[in-house]
Amino acid sequence: MKKPSLRTLNPAKFLKAGPNREARIMATEAKPLPKLNEYPANKIAIALHPKKQVVKVTNIVERASGVKSYTLKATTDTPIAYFSAGQYIVVNLQIGDYLLTRPYSISSSPKQAQVDNEYELTVKRVDGGLASNYILDNWTIGTEVTISAPAGNFTYEPLRDAKTVVGLAGGSGITPFVSLAKAIADGDEDANLMLLYGCATKNDMLFKDELDAICEKCDKVKVVYVLSNDKLEGAEEGFLSAELIKKYAPEGDYSVFICGPQGMYNYLDTQLPLLGLRKKFIRHELFGEYRNPQANADYPECVEKSVKITVVCRGDATTIEADTNDTILVSIEKAGIPAPARCRSGSCGWCRAKLTSGDVYIPKDVDGRKLADYDYGYIHPCCSFPLSDITIEIFKK
Amino acid sequence: MRTQFDVIVVGAGNGGLAAAATTARAGLSTLLLEKHNVPGGSASTFRRGRFEFEPSLHELCSVGTKENPQKIYNIFKELGCEIDWRYEYNTFRAICDGEDGYDVKLRAGFDNFCDDMEKAVPGSRESVKAFFDLVKKNDEALAYVYEKKGNPNPLVMLFKHADFLKSASHSTEEVEIALGMPEKARNIMNTYWGYLGVPTDDLNAMHYLSMVGSYVDDGAAMPYKRSHELSLALEKSITDAGGEVWYNAQVSKFLYKEDGSCCGVQLQDGTELYAKEIISNIIPNNVYGMSDPKFVPEKELKLANARTLGMTFVTIYVGLDCSKEELGIEDYTIFKMPFPNPREQFNRREEGTYYVFNCLNEVIPDASPKGTCMLFFTVPLMPGDLPENLTQYNYKKWKNELAEVYIKDCEKSMGFDIMSHIEEISVATPVSFARYLGTPNGEVYGYQNENWDSVINRSQAQFTDFTVPHLHYCGGHSVMGDGFSSAYITGHDTGIRVVNSIKGGK
Ligand SMILES: Cc1cc2nc3c(=O)[nH]c(=O)nc-3n(C[C@H](O)[C@H](O)[C@H](O)COP(=O)(O)OP(=O)(O)OC[C@H]3O[C@@H](n4cnc5c(N)ncnc54)[C@H](O)[C@@H]3O)c2cc1C
Ligand code: FES
Repeated sequence: MKKPSLRTLNPAKFLKAGPNREARIMATEAKPLPKLNEYPANKIAIALHPKKQVVKVTNIVERASGVKSYTLKATTDTPIAYFSAGQYIVVNLQIGDYLLTRPYSISSSPKQAQVDNEYELTVKRVDGGLASNYILDNWTIGTEVTISAPAGNFTYEPLRDAKTVVGLAGGSGITPFVSLAKAIADGDEDANLMLLYGCATKNDMLFKDELDAICEKCDKVKVVYVLSNDKLEGAEEGFLSAELIKKYAPEGDYSVFICGPQGMYNYLDTQLPLLGLRKKFIRHELFGEYRNPQANADYPECVEKSVKITVVCRGDATTIEADTNDTILVSIEKAGIPAPARCRSGSCGWCRAKLTSGDVYIPKDVDGRKLADYDYGYIHPCCSFPLSDITIEIFKK
Repeated sequence: MRTQFDVIVVGAGNGGLAAAATTARAGLSTLLLEKHNVPGGSASTFRRGRFEFEPSLHELCSVGTKENPQKIYNIFKELGCEIDWRYEYNTFRAICDGEDGYDVKLRAGFDNFCDDMEKAVPGSRESVKAFFDLVKKNDEALAYVYEKKGNPNPLVMLFKHADFLKSASHSTEEVEIALGMPEKARNIMNTYWGYLGVPTDDLNAMHYLSMVGSYVDDGAAMPYKRSHELSLALEKSITDAGGEVWYNAQVSKFLYKEDGSCCGVQLQDGTELYAKEIISNIIPNNVYGMSDPKFVPEKELKLANARTLGMTFVTIYVGLDCSKEELGIEDYTIFKMPFPNPREQFNRREEGTYYVFNCLNEVIPDASPKGTCMLFFTVPLMPGDLPENLTQYNYKKWKNELAEVYIKDCEKSMGFDIMSHIEEISVATPVSFARYLGTPNGEVYGYQNENWDSVINRSQAQFTDFTVPHLHYCGGHSVMGDGFSSAYITGHDTGIRVVNSIKGGK
């Protein structure tokens, strides 16, 4: 056998490669290039994830005492961003100097976004709350609001979830499920929904008429009302217990989706283990604003009530007073410094910032940081609490 | 807020990070601008539940080890970065369907690789060995070209480096055929083409050789905490040296002086920033779109028109609620191909199931919690491949259906039970890359490295292709083509060039 060699190839070709390339370039027309937003992939990316959307309140419905739904419609010809049932949008508010953001689940259907260019948010009055009460007291028809693109992962994923979702909703935690029920009825999601909706009394039930109407026309959606403090024909009494879930869950695999107040999560923590479900079949909506870190066993002792936070943004520093009971994000917002945030639950990373000095407390269960972020001093201010004077570098909103 | 710097770098991708670290550490006041809120561009991570996924890195080439450091190892070291490198010493397993199909696994190390290839294709050893011998010859020639700053003496090249000239001006397959490599061995050898995005009949042999050579010689490296570790290490290198990194800082305009030289950038919020030298880690096409047309040289526009946008992907990230052992996974990288020939794989990509399968736990066992594992599917696509009727409304459905096809194919051809174990899943497409990287049509690989525009041709023309004074380019779209290592190297090189021009007037 001959020894392999490159004898048959011509090295002189190399000398021509440069001139050939040059000739090819010069023979090409210098056409203007397409604009970035004209490429199909970029077009869809921009449509689904606009930086912000300006919308107007076009309808307000009182769902119960202290609970209202707001229809938010696009104000320009650009279609409102489509979403998956279960996602939320972030509302930007300014209350005096206080700049804040809050996530709200979309309670309307994806179809309504597609056809009517609108989302519906449902807001419940919270004792001592700020944003929700502000919205309820101030938004009227015509109010303009700046919101984010839809975000969040509390969505039905056909490749991951079981065919049937057992939805465990508490109080205003019903909103993402209303969207999901509608999406199933519209044929936009291919799943079955067995919704167990827990409320204290029948006066607290939201969307009952809408849900009953969906069940009427779509046999993939079923709703059971569960009242802890009241009676109603056809409704269950008590809490969303393991026993109740077993009673209504289908044979075989099912996914449990949970959205409700903290008390309900705490109760379910005692109930879900009794069902022996695999982790993949249990999905929680975000927990929202973290309160009372001091109550945790691993919270350090002797922390001052008030500390100083030096906030650095693009090289400029501002020092503010902060309550150690407030998250760092809240303190920054209270000082009127615009700061990026979305989920406010520690998981999306949107608020990510660099702690350059001082100590903070981060509750373990909401620490959603990336591994390498730990090593390089990055934290999520939405669920971090200052323990001493600190310096933090935030990125512009 | 400071608005005047020695150097502004636009884009904190791998190229931009390396460039900014190089200039900052040389004592130049450096500002790195990034539109996203994390560094890295492609080199990042994202979390879902208890998993943290690596979005892009399969394997990093040209790293080497502490004992035998290669280019990338040295760059990180020089920039003061401590990286916890992990290694993979198999190159790949390749499974090809069909009558002339095969299922082979090749270990790293030139001798191992030749042995394994000989086993798969008896009689191939000599040609495979000869192919790898070219790697060394190429290195010598390249060192000479580099020494001569891209202008070597043609006679020296012809007499001393003829084999280099041949492989530098012919396609990978032309070289392999000349060496008498059997067809099946060629197909197996060319499995990696997807990493460069150009089928091997139009992919420069020198370019392909240097990549394959590096994987076979040193194995592949990966950082323990995924790409985010690399990006943060470089970010720290910049800020430790006094440089600034601004996130959520999208550049919307490049600023020029009347004489046509670049002097700064404008951010989306209107802030104007100025520097002596501007380094763009973003693709020239986008820079032109952000420049007054009168400052875009006609030849650059011609070049952009003559080029094809590089490859992009559909990627599927899966977190499973069982260990890789339970599934029987024993390989880090498996290439799955419906046809043996790269050109056919490329041309028929829409009908077939060509993909790369990775299981990170194979290299980093604790990359995910005990009793779980992570899979990563990569399907190469060209930027124009999106279905015509794709809209924001049917997008999610489309990507889920696509993901299902590939996962099911993997179940069938490799026998892993994946579907019933999916605890987390995320599917990225060119739309996702368009969103996060901001590249035209979501391209990831810059411009196609077709042979007329090969790395070697690009590097010869690097000082004549781009002529705007004080504006420099680095990253996957530049001289060396795509890939982490290319981006780091061009970033580092560009940084050095800028340092020299500011400090020494060179
Ligand atoms: C799925 C996938 C798999 C891959 N696998 C591998 C592999 O296994 N091995 C390998 O070596 N390579 C791999 N690559 C390729 C590699 O990731 C890229 O070639 C390399 O990261 C390119 O680096 P870059 O410097 O060009 O930056 P890019 O990653 O393109 O980053 C550019 C940066 O600029 C920012 N930017 C854009 N526009 C603006 C603006 N107007 N203002 C401010 N900032 C802006 C972007 O946000 C981004 O951060 C893979 C890529 C992908 C996506
Ligand atoms: S806002 Fe989502 S992590 Fe802080």
